[in-house]
Order: sequence, then structure tokens, then C-alpha cells
Amino acid sequence: MASSTNTPSYILRYIDLIVLGESTRLLLTAANVEWTEEHPEWPKEKPNQPFCRLPVLVEKSTDGGPDFVICESGNIERYLARTYGLLPADLKEAALQEQVRDQITDVINTFVSFIEAISEEDKKARLEAFGELLDKFIAVYSVHIRNNGNTGHLFGNSLSFADIVTYVLFKNVVFGLVKFKADIADYTKPKFTPEIIKLISTVETDPKLTKFVLKSGNLSAAVRA
Amino acid sequence: MASTNNRPSYILRYFDMIGNGESTRLMLTAANVEWTEERPEWPQEKANQPFGRLPVLIEKSTDGSPDFVICESGNIERYLGRTLGFIPADLRKAALQEQVRDQTFDVITSFAGFVRSTSEEDKKARLDAFWEILDKYIAVYSKHIQDNGNTGYLFGNSLSFADITTYVLFKNVLIGFAKFKEDIADYAKPKLTPEIIKLISTVEAEPSISKIVFKSGDLSAAVKA
Repeated sequence: MASSTNTPSYILRYIDLIVLGESTRLLLTAANVEWTEEHPEWPKEKPNQPFCRLPVLVEKSTDGGPDFVICESGNIERYLARTYGLLPADLKEAALQEQVRDQITDVINTFVSFIEAISEEDKKARLEAFGELLDKFIAVYSVHIRNNGNTGHLFGNSLSFADIVTYVLFKNVVFGLVKFKADIADYTKPKFTPEIIKLISTVETDPKLTKFVLKSGNLSAAVRA
Repeated sequence: MASTNNRPSYILRYFDMIGNGESTRLMLTAANVEWTEERPEWPQEKANQPFGRLPVLIEKSTDGSPDFVICESGNIERYLGRTLGFIPADLRKAALQEQVRDQTFDVITSFAGFVRSTSEEDKKARLDAFWEILDKYIAVYSKHIQDNGNTGYLFGNSLSFADITTYVLFKNVLIGFAKFKEDIADYAKPKLTPEIIKLISTVEAEPSISKIVFKSGDLSAAVKA
């Protein structure tokens, strides 16, 4: 595969899971750049990462200089989205999209704190908090999708950063997080509104993503099932 | 106070605490723009916020169009950071600074997990996790400050987004969090390296924030005490 002169190629270092890596995978796919994935042995490779955590993004140097290495999943996603035009250049428009991703971080972090909880009372409280935040997210963004012409896009008429990260949230709560809570889909699927289901199918049928998006599962099919 | 034509003014809606509002306060002050703060009655005003949470930033319109409203503290900080010039325009340089903020958020979120826990075993596990990530943060960024000429700045030679977020992290840990864990400073102070202490005093000596920085406490003094 010939690469354009000076278009960088990327390495995503993560675990072989959807969770905090999938939005980056989809953004790299939509950007149509060369990229590969490394699955470091864990926790063996922990000390070799910049902040001892994954994901890490390596942008391979094209000029002999050092590679550019960043971490923190939201930071990686925003950097790629800005670089490849999936986040608007206008700061206000970008902030409205980044807000969506930050809210998704809150939902996922709440689920993580449920997994980490030890006592039954803490588990129960954290699971309830997760459900509440997910309900809020679905309510707010279903209205948003409707108000944006009900085409399954959150903003404008084409695949955006916000669409991708929202799709991945729902892929996580149906597929990605199953290994941490086996019945999670039974809990989350009934919450999906027609607008959310439309966003899911709009993202899964976007030509920019077709070569990759179904590798981690067919979410539209799972939602209908 | 006369306002310049067409320069927006801002309202920060948040609680009377350092928490996730202080970085925003410092940037608005350093940029010398008009801004005020609202302290909504809580939880009465919860339903009136875009996502049921605080902080919220309102950029007042100067041309009769609707005000611009965003939420999520990191999103607010990045929007102001870019608009007011604390985040570099270069995407790679920006990502290296945003990464710092995402990591301070991980540390603060980790402490929030401790505060929310009810059982003794959960409290202990969450507190241990908080100390671990704080230790990591201190180690990585002490080295960073050293490598950057040991002037107390994380990047370059002047107050940046990363400096502000790091300062606020330590203000939270040593002062803000005391209301949730009285003796936290006893544990945290010994962990501070000379580089971190230098950053704290460098930020607190910055003229552009002098009229507000000590309102929430004198961190350099607290560190020396």
C-alpha cells in the first residue's frame, strides 16, 4: 500500500477490546490513514508507557525526527479528529462535539467504578449511578438527533467525531462491557430510543467506516434482536 | 467597568469550591475578560442545567444571537484555553498539554471515587488507587519540569494551560479535598517534589492572576507549613 509522502502512519497501543480504543480505531479508519495496532503484554509493558496506561498513540515520524507519542483516550481521539477534519475548526462547534465525548467519559467512568466496587452496597450504588447517567445521555441526545433533522447524525449531515464516539458508547454498553457484566445488554438495550437506533445504523452504514466497523460486532443487528 | 465592543463576557456556574471550577476562574482572570460567577441552589437548579451538572459556562452573546452554553469542565477549560490563548494552536503541542489536564482529571476522579465509597473496604481500595495515580503524576511531571529548564513551567517560558491545571490539582489535593478527608495534607505534602513546589510558586507569582489566585488559599504557604 503506497502511502502519501509525509502522511504519517499510526500505531495504536491498546488491549484487544472495544472500551477506550474503538473510537480511535474508527477515527483512523475514517481518516483513511495507515495504521496498525499493538497489544502490549500487560502488565509487563506497563512501565514502558508514558503514563503507565493504555491507550497510547504513536504517530510515526516521516522526517527522521522522534515519533510523536500521546496518551489519554479522549486526548488521542481529539487530536486525530482535529488533524483529519472530523472535528470542526470552529471552536464553538468543536466544543459542542467534545462535550458529547466528555459526557461519555462520565458514563464509562461510572461503569468502571461499578466494576471496581467491592461491597454489595457500593456495587449497587455505582450501577444505579451508571444507569442514571446513561438514561440522561440518551434523553439529551435523542432530542438532539431529532432536532438535527432526525437523520441519525448529531451535528450536520455527515459523519462527525460526536457520531463516532456516541456509536462507540452504545457498542460498549451492548458488546464491549459484556466481559465485565454478562447481562449488561439486557439492562441497556431497552433504554435505546428510535433516535439512538438510527444513529447506530447511520454510523454502521457510513462508507468511510465499512471496511472496519463491523469487526467488533454488528450493533444494528444486536439492537434489533 | 467599560467593556470593549464585541468582546464577550462569561458566566461560570459552579459551586463555591476549587474542584472542577478553579482552572476556569484562573484562565478567565488571566485573560482579563469580563466574567462573573453564579452559584445555583443545588439540587434545586439541577434540572435547569443542560446535562444536570456543574460547571456550566455561558458566553454572553454580543450580537443578539443566543448565548453560547457549554458544560463538562475539561471541555470548558479547553474551549477557553484555545479561545484565550493558553493552549497552543499547533495540534501536537496542544495535545501534550491537554494530556496533562486529562491526567489531572483522572487523579481528581480517583479521589471522588474514594469520597463516594461507603464500605470500609471500598474506601481503602479507592484511597490506595488515588495515592498511586497521584504518585505517578508527580513522578512524570517533576521530570518534565526538570527537563524544561526547571523554571516551574511545564512547557516553554510562560503560564500555560498545563501549568494552571497542574496547580489546581495540587490546590485540590492539599486544600480543597480537606473537607472530605481532614488529614489529606499530612499524607500529600511529603510527596511533593522540589519541581512541583516550584511550579506552585511560579503560578502563584503570576501577575495576571494575582487578583484572584489567593482567594481559595495560599498554596505555597500551605506547602511550606
